[in-house]
Amino acid sequence: MSTTSETSSIPAGAATGRPRPGGQGGQGNSRRPRPGGTAGEVKPRRGGRELLGALPWIGPALILIFGVVLFPAVVMFFNSTRDISISGLDKGSVGFDNYIEVFSFPYFWPIFGRTIVWVVVVVVATVLISLALAQLLNKAFPGRRIVRLAVIIPWAASVVMTTMVVYYGLEPYFGIINKFLVDIGLIATPEGYGWTRNPETAFAWSIVVAVFVSLPFTTYTILAGLQTMPGEVLEAAKMDGAGPVRTYWGVVLPQLRSAISVAVLINIINVFNSLPILKVMTGSIPGYDADTIMTMIFKYIQNQHKVDVASALSVVAFLIVIVIVAIYVRVVKPMKEV
Amino acid sequence: MAVTAPAFETIAPPAASARKRRYTEDQVPLGKMIWRMVAGFLVLAVFVLPYVIMFFGSVKTKAQIRSVDPTYFPQEWHWENYINMWSTPETPLPQNLISTIIISVFATLLVLLVSLPAAYYTARFKFPGRMVFLFLVIVTQMLQPAVLTSGLFRQFVALELIDTWAAMIFINAAFNLSFAVWIMHSFFAGIPKEVDEAAQIDGAGRLRVLFTISLPLVWPGIVTAIVFTFVACWNEFAASLVILSTAGNQPLSVALTKFVGQYETSWQYVFGVSIVAIVPVVILFMLIEKRLVGGLTAGSVK
Amino acid sequence: MKKSLRLGAAVALAATASLTLASCGFGGGSGDDEAGGKTTLDLLVPSYSDNTQSLWEDVIKGFEAENTDIDVKLEVASWDNLETLIATKIQGGEAPDIYNGGPFAGFVTDELLYPAEDVVSPETFSDFQDSFIANAEVDGTAYALPLIASARALFVNNALLEQAGVTAPPTTWDELLDAATKVSALGGGIAGYGMPLGSEEAQAEAAVWLWGGGGTFGDADAITIDDPANLPGAEQIKKMIDAGATQADPGSTDRSPLMDIFIQGQIGMQVGLPPTVGQIEENNPELDYSIVPIPTQDGSPFTLGVMDQLMAFENDGDKQDAITKFLDYYYTSDVYVPWVQAEGFLPVTKSGAEALSSEEALAPFLEVLPDAQFYPSTNEKWSAADAAFKALFGQLQTKPAQDVLTEIQAQVDAG
Repeated sequence: MSTTSETSSIPAGAATGRPRPGGQGGQGNSRRPRPGGTAGEVKPRRGGRELLGALPWIGPALILIFGVVLFPAVVMFFNSTRDISISGLDKGSVGFDNYIEVFSFPYFWPIFGRTIVWVVVVVVATVLISLALAQLLNKAFPGRRIVRLAVIIPWAASVVMTTMVVYYGLEPYFGIINKFLVDIGLIATPEGYGWTRNPETAFAWSIVVAVFVSLPFTTYTILAGLQTMPGEVLEAAKMDGAGPVRTYWGVVLPQLRSAISVAVLINIINVFNSLPILKVMTGSIPGYDADTIMTMIFKYIQNQHKVDVASALSVVAFLIVIVIVAIYVRVVKPMKEV
Repeated sequence: MAVTAPAFETIAPPAASARKRRYTEDQVPLGKMIWRMVAGFLVLAVFVLPYVIMFFGSVKTKAQIRSVDPTYFPQEWHWENYINMWSTPETPLPQNLISTIIISVFATLLVLLVSLPAAYYTARFKFPGRMVFLFLVIVTQMLQPAVLTSGLFRQFVALELIDTWAAMIFINAAFNLSFAVWIMHSFFAGIPKEVDEAAQIDGAGRLRVLFTISLPLVWPGIVTAIVFTFVACWNEFAASLVILSTAGNQPLSVALTKFVGQYETSWQYVFGVSIVAIVPVVILFMLIEKRLVGGLTAGSVK
Repeated sequence: MKKSLRLGAAVALAATASLTLASCGFGGGSGDDEAGGKTTLDLLVPSYSDNTQSLWEDVIKGFEAENTDIDVKLEVASWDNLETLIATKIQGGEAPDIYNGGPFAGFVTDELLYPAEDVVSPETFSDFQDSFIANAEVDGTAYALPLIASARALFVNNALLEQAGVTAPPTTWDELLDAATKVSALGGGIAGYGMPLGSEEAQAEAAVWLWGGGGTFGDADAITIDDPANLPGAEQIKKMIDAGATQADPGSTDRSPLMDIFIQGQIGMQVGLPPTVGQIEENNPELDYSIVPIPTQDGSPFTLGVMDQLMAFENDGDKQDAITKFLDYYYTSDVYVPWVQAEGFLPVTKSGAEALSSEEALAPFLEVLPDAQFYPSTNEKWSAADAAFKALFGQLQTKPAQDVLTEIQAQVDAG
């Protein structure tokens, strides 16, 4: 919950950048970091007894998940088929009416499209910038430690507050960023430009903020991957006479594949679920020209008090993200080794 | 924690040696070095800028923050904001800080306690439902928090845990379990099986293998999981808002909203509290940054 | 295998133990309502100002001193979160006993509220001003207790108007357009008229204009936004925008930040309400301003009145006495008047109005109050209309007036 609403980046994938067992084996087969297949092994056994044996180990996790998450999730599915009054009372079943309302909303498809644009642009930009950042942070230079620490701040700060500060800076009249742009002559109106007052610019700035807060985790994941890169590989490439560009494309990137692919997966889920950035940046804009599915769910709940329709849209969103993740997993196979 | 502490020493030496090797490799010309420093400085500036604006805001008066002729630097430094914010009429901030710490610390411990064995076992042993389990865990991340809160509220009312820290500890732990499991899972998976096998041949029990052999090797993974969970709990908002109703029980994230009035907002406190909330996490990072990245390098354990 | 089982069991046990420990050790303690034979009243209120929390705490302290068998548990939420919170609580069957909010007709439809007369003594009830009680009635029964009222008026920056050569504050739309255009022409980022159509309080600015042109939002039976009578007001808004008489991007400008700009002397005229006086006092006491009635199409007097109310949820129906005691206590002059005064709103009780009649800051508002028109908040659909205005009305900046009204009506009807 907190993950999706407040922090948009997690260092999870850092793990995947770890060195392969043994370190030397299978350099040539870089697409499969662990040629031996899954790490789990010790005489494959079958049957319920194994599951029983696993229970004490995974049981506590299952208890916690089922104990806390299951009920609210079921409520969400259940509510999506109910008629719930604006004050919150359940008035009985309406079948799939809420879903019909979701899909017949004239702005649904534009919002859907914008959600996809949001996810793709933010994730792609995040990964590209992170690759460059990690490359820099992996090189020795005086002050590197402090730069690394700075890169981590957006992650330590809550996403809401980071967004609020940017929003504040962008406001006409009050905002420092606007003042700066006026001072250097980029904006003619003395009070600044209404960046957060127009859907296009507000959405664009939201993307900037989303990328900004996703960078720490992604950068660190890739950085970890870079650091585990065996020096011999690079040296071998150098001896073969490969230039820096070819070395990067031919040797470094393939090595980073598993780190990047898990980072992307986690970013997809988080960016898709991200609400606070758009909520703050586009909150005062009328109409639905800067909304994504997530802000639409929020508007259904907060403005229109339609918990039922919001639940239906949430179920739709849940299915969409599962489909996206499923496609991603099929194509990229980031969990191959998991 | 006591159990994992010795792991530190075990892992530290390889980390150090790995770093040394890297530095000696990087004998670069001065020009290149300067270029890197310039780039590094630019990165630093970009990443720090929003928080500098936040900090400047926190030492301004309410009127200065909303001044239509903003200045880049505060003209007067109102350090007293940092004292006054602990005794505002809006919210009992000291209690909010304590709440945040308690909820985050205990939720993180609970996550660790629960996800460690799960991560270890799923990484080490094949059993039917292993993939199902891992998938189930990640699915919890795909649900919409805004919609789940209503179910959570009902559930904890029924459990008579509404408005308690315990409720938020469970909720935070449950929703942050997944990435912790994943992180540690892949770290465990990265340890060559020979290590375990050798130990088991020696007659060590699985439990002892976990604690004496595997755990020290995955210390970086544990650190990563701790940081991730802690930060997520620290900033959690949606569930805290509906579960915790007593002002003193609420965490900083909810307390912040109290400064937002119907027609006026005490921005200086919003910014000040945000800075206060960032500091402990940054310090935590500072303490473990070396282990986070350096530790990963240490993976060159054989 | 055995060993792993034992370990697993140990871990599971440890986990369970820690859960149990946690739940015992850190009880915030709301589950024990009846501890010691005490009745606990839950009070959920929004934050009006910096002082809201402490003002309520004072009320509660005083009340609990007199009624030792009743505990009042206060929860203050920001306006942003208030309605989500109340909906969640109702859905969870845990409505607060007393709630301070806006739209209440939905609660009445769902039969969740005590009739007002059941939770205050006849004396307290008869002290409410009739016009406010009328606004709390659904089918002839009052279900909410008026709490505070506000009326709107036009705040005018005298210096700017003078500078622009405007001699008297405008009373009609034509004069307003003329004056605002002249002030805007001063340049330097100064705007003639501050028009907040952003989501924060779009319905208020909408009412100011649409009703000022003879329009209406409807009544207890029907919400009528797409009504020809509303068109002149909407068209006039567009005229103001097109003439450059407003600040930039009125469609997405929120009310509060805009008022900050007015207070700092950058806007010629803006509609404000009683607490605005206090804000000017606090932030820019030098501002040379006056408060005049809102200009209308034909210059006839009018103001938008807004009333917030307290309501009492029935829940199990066993706290009626305690609720009555609390509300009676709250509405006594000694408690209520300082409360209203501190929040800077208008009182809704006769005794309160009397006590505050000499209050200079409130005079201009008390003066226009008789001409106040209120939102059709007793209509169950008002809540949906309110949301539709917030979400859509700002589109006036770019879309034709008729289209916007039609779209709002459609969303209301669908809700």
